[in-house]
Amino acid sequence: MAYRKTVASLVAAAALMGTSAASYAATDITWWHAMGGKLGEVVNQISTDYNASQDACSLTPVYKGGYEDTLTAGIAAFRAGEQPNIIQVFDAGAATIIGAKGAVEPVEDLLKANGVPFDIEDYIAGVRYFYADSDGKMIGMPFNSSAPILYINDDAMKKAGVEAPKTYEEFEAIAPKLKEAGYIPLVQSHLPWEFVENFKSRHDLQFATNNNGYDGATGTELVFGEPIKNHFTAAKKWLDEGLFGYYGTGWGDNQQPFNEGKVALWIGSSGSFGGIADTVDFPFSATFLPYWDAVEGANTASFIGGAALFAMSGKSDEENKCAASFFEYLTSPEVQYMWHRETGYVPVTEAAYELAKKDGHYERTPAAEVGIQQLSLPAGEWTKGYRMGFYVQIRDVMNRELGKVFSGETSVEDAFATIKADGDKLLSRFAKTIDN
Amino acid sequence: MWRACPGNRKARYVVRGEAMKKVQFNTPAIPYLLLFPQIAIVAVFFLWPAAEAVRSSFYLEDPFGFGSTFVGFDNFIDTVTSTNYARVARFTGVFTFLVTVLSLGAALLLAVKADKVLRGASSYKTLLMWVYAVAPPVAGLIGILLFDQHVGPIVKFVAMFGWHMQIGVDYYDTAFAMIIASVWKQIPVNFIFFLSGLQGISKSVQEAASIDCRSGFRRFWTVTFPLLAPTGFFLLIINITYALFDTFGIIDVVLKTEPGNNPVTLVYKVYLDGFRGNDLGGSSAQSVLLMLVVFILTIIQFRLIERRVHYT
Amino acid sequence: MRKLQISDHIVLLAGVFFMVTPVVLAFLTSTHDAVTIYRTGLQYSIGDQGLSAYETVLTRAGGFTKEVNGMVMLKNSMILGFGFAIGKIVISMLAAYAIVYFRFPAASFCFWVIFCTLLLPLEVRILPSYEIVQQLGMVNTYSGLIVPLIASATGTFFFRQFFLSVPDELLEAARIDGAGPWKFFIDILVPISKTMIAAIFIIMFVYGWNQYLWPTLITTDEGFFTLVRGIKQILQVWVGAQIPDYDQAMALAILAMLPPVLVVIVFQSWFIKGLVESDK
Repeated sequence: MAYRKTVASLVAAAALMGTSAASYAATDITWWHAMGGKLGEVVNQISTDYNASQDACSLTPVYKGGYEDTLTAGIAAFRAGEQPNIIQVFDAGAATIIGAKGAVEPVEDLLKANGVPFDIEDYIAGVRYFYADSDGKMIGMPFNSSAPILYINDDAMKKAGVEAPKTYEEFEAIAPKLKEAGYIPLVQSHLPWEFVENFKSRHDLQFATNNNGYDGATGTELVFGEPIKNHFTAAKKWLDEGLFGYYGTGWGDNQQPFNEGKVALWIGSSGSFGGIADTVDFPFSATFLPYWDAVEGANTASFIGGAALFAMSGKSDEENKCAASFFEYLTSPEVQYMWHRETGYVPVTEAAYELAKKDGHYERTPAAEVGIQQLSLPAGEWTKGYRMGFYVQIRDVMNRELGKVFSGETSVEDAFATIKADGDKLLSRFAKTIDN
Repeated sequence: MWRACPGNRKARYVVRGEAMKKVQFNTPAIPYLLLFPQIAIVAVFFLWPAAEAVRSSFYLEDPFGFGSTFVGFDNFIDTVTSTNYARVARFTGVFTFLVTVLSLGAALLLAVKADKVLRGASSYKTLLMWVYAVAPPVAGLIGILLFDQHVGPIVKFVAMFGWHMQIGVDYYDTAFAMIIASVWKQIPVNFIFFLSGLQGISKSVQEAASIDCRSGFRRFWTVTFPLLAPTGFFLLIINITYALFDTFGIIDVVLKTEPGNNPVTLVYKVYLDGFRGNDLGGSSAQSVLLMLVVFILTIIQFRLIERRVHYT
Repeated sequence: MRKLQISDHIVLLAGVFFMVTPVVLAFLTSTHDAVTIYRTGLQYSIGDQGLSAYETVLTRAGGFTKEVNGMVMLKNSMILGFGFAIGKIVISMLAAYAIVYFRFPAASFCFWVIFCTLLLPLEVRILPSYEIVQQLGMVNTYSGLIVPLIASATGTFFFRQFFLSVPDELLEAARIDGAGPWKFFIDILVPISKTMIAAIFIIMFVYGWNQYLWPTLITTDEGFFTLVRGIKQILQVWVGAQIPDYDQAMALAILAMLPPVLVVIVFQSWFIKGLVESDK
């Protein structure tokens, strides 16, 4: 037990020599995160600023690798009683950590117990309920939140003499012209997230039984209707006609041709913004993720992507107090705006959004506002999110089968039949792990 | 990398009590004392986790440890009845075979040539050997840049012959890249062993052979090859375990941890389901199945050696 | 004969080309800047950035603590490589000595217990292993990094094989001289095992140095990061939509491979000799 504390406090002491050395011993808390590279640097900055802002708590962020590595390390640590105070868990892992009753202190309870005012209405509509339970109580604090949006190579539009599409119907109309102008008209970058999950939310379609899985794991099954099958039939046709490019499951493999200026329209994350601005040498802009006008009730808000912070249970009151105090700091408009500005992730509170607007951030970089606007579109019955266990494997199944569709190994109909069969089997296995 | 080792070859003797020293110490306590550190480490860091894996293969368990349901053999049944598992198992077999054959073949060829040339022999030896020390993630990193869909030199090269290679999209292209990278990483090991084997064959035997057989090729097959067989057999086992287990790092980097519609090996699938997907029961069941496979391989190995020993 | 020699050289040169080119390209690439590499891939010439990426990774402090840089990672890799190799050699020599040179009832049982470790690689039992190491309070310690890796039988097998090939007469002679087990081990067995120890040292040093999954899991404190783990960390940026620092990754990759490569090259004659002798 003691070794971890010692190391953490030594580290913290070194970092804070100037501010806290003179004062009494601060309570140490740790935060395991999955933010590498530039994002990691911003995380470190936030932590350093937080530690400098007060004396009572000392926060040490630890980069644990990718999202999956972080969650798994957190699970193993929890089982050994050595869990961090705060852990970052991604969208696909939400069901695992929320399903394990007792692994986390719901963030809403944590904040209220420590006298931090909390109102779920302060959060922007799109992020409010994704990490909440079925009663609407917020369990995880939305942290790095993003939306899939459409990036536009403005040169390509000009050259082909067309306007960026709002719907897939419009895309079908302009795609041949883009191709003629020498561009690959459309590329996506994450099939499960952009073409399945957010296809469901943008068209307000049911994704799973049991209220998209929120009402319990037992009996939850995937739901695939005609619209999504039609979408993939269309995408396969585009691919065959050279109107759509598919470069596998690797995100970067799909982004690179856009960055190189070979692709006219690219569906990426609102968080991709900074990276694109650094590399491309053509003017670009962004707009909402397209939808099919033919689907009734479409053009609703998209699901939030990214990850949330969870306060793990089994910690002392002082440490929980510090976790609450850090959450309060993190959700303050200034910190949220700084995070938003530096990384491209959306701000999670209305106040931070207002601050960004007032500061003129969106006049300087209009594309930065697209994500949050899309998350603020009208909500529908099925847009608050989904809650499914073993979802990482379900995404793997989707990637596998949809990849087969594009390589011509299977039909759209068969692919979705397999996704449903394999996915439902995983869901029922997951239900057995928690409902007993 | 060195999971199987030359010691295996003589393991059977211990079981039958043959290959012991004729003279041994008879002090009762000392051997236990000497063995204690190794046995303690094995017990704590191997047997305990392995037993844990066997136990959890019979449960469906909430990863955080709050609840678990005993499901008997359900995890095993779910695993072996899955069509995808069958596909992965098939690929693993083909992959193991190709990596083993290609890396052994190339290394043997190079070792025979390096043993033969007079000028520059030691430079060749060094140049061919040192890649042994390159870490698998480094090999994988270089590999994916070489095979990159958009800028990879190999992709551009084969495009000249009309091969539209797409690693990460096309199942077979990805398999091709994995195999090449795995073979590349394994050639030095095999080369070192074959070369030591060749240099261990006494020069007088070789000279005698060169008088008896004029054809270099025939000489190789009739004299050198049989003498290399023990080394080759040992390497076969090493290579099979390498292809099964130690290619993990290469596969991981080539796939960038997103398998999609790409081939994976059985060990990688254990990692995907257990480490990434937190399906402890399912992944443990797969581990247990793998243990069985390795166990059977080991038995076959002993059997074959036994037969071979009788011949010599 | 002459013609044969030329074809031999061609085969060998092709082999060298196949083996060495990728590493040379990695080095050349490390001398270009990240954006160039991102856009155009591997580079075939020396770039204008020169060796500055090496300077950056070696000296620039990174991470939250600003305490970790290439030098620190180099030190940790050294500790892991040497600690693992030495620990493994000591422990497995003792165990092999017991199994080969002593008559005791549990000998074959112990041998099989050790042998079992070949059945399940660390990758496959990583979660329970991690849990146990954590329960023992060994996360973020060098012993937690090194000791669990030692739990495999490879070294024991190499030494066992070698000891079996040592002529029985040695022990007989030693016994006549009145040497006990300890004296025999230190004065006779260890000295004649020198080349074998060197060979195994190389194998184990390289193996330990190149570990990455286990160090990634077991070290959360930046002060314990190794070079190979550092590469992984730079590459993980791929998952996101940013440009990885390719130049630094390549520089780190080259730095990470230098020490084990040097060890292999410098000690290669011992290495080969050790293997030849063990294979009798």
